[in-house]
Formats: sequence, structure tokens, C-alpha cells
Amino acid sequence: MTTLIKLEILRALRNKKFMFFSVIYPPALYLIIAGGADSKPLPGTGLNMGLYYMVSMAAFGAMTAVLLGNSERIAKEREQGWVRQLRLTALPGRGYVAAKIAAAATVSLPSILLVMIVAAAVKGVRLEAWQWIAIAVGTWLGSFVFAALGVAIGYLASGDAVRPVSMLCFFALAFLGGLWMPMTLLPQWVQNVSEWLPTHAYAALGTAVEAGGAPHVKDMAILLGYLVVFVGGAAWLYRKDTRKA
Amino acid sequence: MVSFQGVSKSYGAVRAVADLHLELHPGETVALLGPNGAGKSSTLDLLLGLRTPDTGSVSLFGTTPQRAIQLGRVGAMLQSGGLMEGVKVRELVRLARDLHPHGYPVDQILAAAGITDIADRVVGKLSGGQEQRVRFALATAGANDLIVLDEPTTGMDVSSRQTFWGAMRRQADEGRTVLFATHYLEEADEIADRVIVLHRGRVLADGTSAEIKARAGARRITFDLEGAADRGALEALPHLTSLTVSHAGSGSTVRIQSQDADATVHALYGLGLYPRNLEVSGLGLEQAFIAITTAEEAAR
Repeated sequence: MTTLIKLEILRALRNKKFMFFSVIYPPALYLIIAGGADSKPLPGTGLNMGLYYMVSMAAFGAMTAVLLGNSERIAKEREQGWVRQLRLTALPGRGYVAAKIAAAATVSLPSILLVMIVAAAVKGVRLEAWQWIAIAVGTWLGSFVFAALGVAIGYLASGDAVRPVSMLCFFALAFLGGLWMPMTLLPQWVQNVSEWLPTHAYAALGTAVEAGGAPHVKDMAILLGYLVVFVGGAAWLYRKDTRKA
Repeated sequence: MVSFQGVSKSYGAVRAVADLHLELHPGETVALLGPNGAGKSSTLDLLLGLRTPDTGSVSLFGTTPQRAIQLGRVGAMLQSGGLMEGVKVRELVRLARDLHPHGYPVDQILAAAGITDIADRVVGKLSGGQEQRVRFALATAGANDLIVLDEPTTGMDVSSRQTFWGAMRRQADEGRTVLFATHYLEEADEIADRVIVLHRGRVLADGTSAEIKARAGARRITFDLEGAADRGALEALPHLTSLTVSHAGSGSTVRIQSQDADATVHALYGLGLYPRNLEVSGLGLEQAFIAITTAEEAAR
């Protein structure tokens, strides 16, 4: 099982094209959105745009790489029959999911760090050392939830359906979770739904730290709950997948 | 050790496997022979637990296919099985070794599958035949009791096919049970101790390849006669399974398939005929197979 995890990480590192774009585009997007903003605090958050978008773009970028990357790659591997071959080994379902999450985490970590570096260098974001570390680690660990969701989607949809399905999940989660604009700018009903979405909890981890506090237990519990559901679902789908796809 | 008890499997209206009963015994090399669509791959999928039967049950080593695989007792190479891309052959073999409860040393696996020379090549840039050998390496990465191969020599040229069967024979010599599906009839004939002919998801014949041939009219007898042949008399010959007469000039050429060539030829002389250029030759498994299949079709 550790061999598979190592091999998946190695493979992710070797895939230079995917790595490059996954790492480069969150900081680029951050510059485009927050680049021209002044340092006035956003309504209802107490954080300015440079700070607010640092967390949400780091989260958004990590989520893109792991969710879209995983779901498409897995659908392709099912199509090629590699998953079928793997099912003829003693590998447990959770081992497969763990390996895929590890591969995704390899890609998401540098993209998170790069957004933070750009925010500090270009937008002059200044935080305490513990805050930097807490945001980086929290955002990274949080991305595991979406990596697991990516694995599950790779199993639920097959062939041509994978991209639209994962895109739909992705945009809905990103928008409703407030990654693109502060929740306070959205209608009340959206805010009510959003509170329970993994994306909102995900961004809230970092935002809480930015505001100088610890992440809320509720957000962590929500993320953990989603992680258990997605990993369990993905592992179950892996074991019972009988289609040739 | 492998047992199918009244197994059926349908996909929609298509009956892929119909009431299959099958037992494999330790140490056998068994060919599962049949044309495309005969149900070979479906049978192997059921055997490996990749599909669940609609009715009946499959057991391996007295347990479920899934459990047998987890215990490392079964190695398999599927036609539809792919390889992980973007890694080197050696890395992939190491993965298979580490996943196996009783894995062999990597170099030993590579050598046994004849892929030591391509160990540092990247998967995805291999020829079809090389890929098949890598798949074989994955299937034989540990101490299995049963090896299942679905059309293993697809995409191989004649010489690599010979090398491949050499590697597979060594597996059998070590006391493993080998089950392979093929539609290359000469492979079944040459390699297997036992041939199971599958047709429309049912077992059509099960025996040694000699027995299969015997069942389908084992020998072909060819001779020339001067003048026109008396068809009626020829048809009355004993043990006849087929007869064709072609006329060439004033003479005719007769082709007979017989279950017992000695008796047929003896009776032929007994008719008072004087056959010229008499030849008696064995039928390949291919003809035997066609004969069985045709008889089956006719009986429907």
C-alpha cells in the first residue's frame, strides 16, 4: 500500500505539465482578482480583499487541482482497465483512495504556498508566523476532502460524463461556498445553505486564523464528516466497480 | 480448487454464461477455447470475482474469489486489464510484488517474464507484445496457486509467443494450476493438458485435446478414384462423419472424415474399390472445434 502511495506521488511529480498549470494558476487568479484592490475591509468580514482572497484562492486552487485532476484521471484509468488489474491484487479499497489523495496533496501543497508567497510579496499581506503555518497546513489538509470527492466522482461518472459532472460539483461548491466572493454579498438563502458545505468550512478555516482566532470546531467537524463520507464512498465504489467502463 | 456450480450470467438479453458447471484440479494446465463471444472472458471475470453471477456460485480454494485474491492465491492477466501509465516497468513490477502477500524478488519476476531488458522503459511506450509480458509479470509477481490468463498472446509475434509459452510452462512445472482463454486453437492443442470448449456460454466439450479431436472425427482420409464414385456406397462406410466428392477429368477425389480411420479404410477396400494416392492425416484442433460447433448448431 505504501508502494502505491509512493508511486502515485512520484507519478504526480513527473507529470510536469499538469503540475505547472495547477501550481501557477491560483496565484495568477489571485493577482487578477485581488491585484487592484485597495486595503478597505470587505463588508462583514473585517478582512481586506488581499487577505480574504489569499485564503479563498489558495483553497480554490487546491480544490481545482485535486477535484478535477483526480476525477478525470480515475475515470481514464478505469477506462484503460488499470483499476481492473489493481482489483486483482490484495490492495484494500482505502489503500487506493489513500494513494490518490496523496498524489493530489503533492500537487496542492506547492500551489497553496505560492498563493501565500505572492500575497505577501505583491499585496503586502502580513501575518504572525503561526498564522502563516496554520493557514498553509489547514488549507492543505482541507484539500484532502476534495481529493476524496474527486475519487468518488471518478467512479460515479464514466467516460464523457466525468468532466461535466465534476465541473458542476466544482463550480457549485466553489460559488455556494463563498470562494469567489464573500458570503456576506450573497443572498440569505445561499448563506444558509453554504454554512453546511465543505467549501465554506474549508475557507472558514483560513479566514478564522486570519482574523486572529483558531478555526471553529464546527467547520473542522463538517470537513471531517465530509472526508469520512467521501473516502468511504470512494473506497466502496472502488471495490464494487464491476463495469469495464 | 476452482468450482463453478450452475453459474449463469446475462447482460440484458444476452446470456453470456449459461448454467456452467466446471471443476479445475490442482496442477492442471487448462485451455478455455472458443470463438469471440463464447463467454470466455465473462467466465474468467466470474472466476475472479470481477462480476457476480446471476445464479449459481463460484468458489476458489473453498472460499470466495475476492478472499482468494486477498490471500494471494490467484494471479491474473486480463484482456481488459490496463497498466498504470507514467511509471517505469520496474516500478510497476515492484508495486505488484509489494501488493502480493507472498511476493518474489523484483529481478526474479522480471527475468521470469523475460522483461529484464525493458525494465527501465516507461509504461505507455511499449509495444503490444511487451505490454502483454509486463501484464504477465504482474500476474506472476508472487507465489500463486492459480494463474488465470485471458488471451495472453494477443499482439505477440510468433517468436515472442514461443518465449511466452516457455515462461508459462515453467509456471505450470512448478506445480501451479494454469487456466488460459484462447481462440488460438494450436495453442490449446500444444500447451494444455485439458481443453474446455465453450460455446454460447456452455461447455461443449471437456477433455484432452486428443479426446476432443476424437469426438469430432479425428482423421481425414483422402484418395482418388478412377471414374465416377458411388456416393451411396461411400456414405455407408463405418465411422464416417463427413464426405465430399469432387470430380476432376474422368476421375474423382474423395475426402472423408472418420472417427476410426483404420476401420474406414478397411471397409473401403472391402467395397472392392482401388483407391489411389491414399492419405490419412490427423485433424488439427481447429477442424475438430469447427466440427463440434457445427454439430451443436445443427442440433439446435
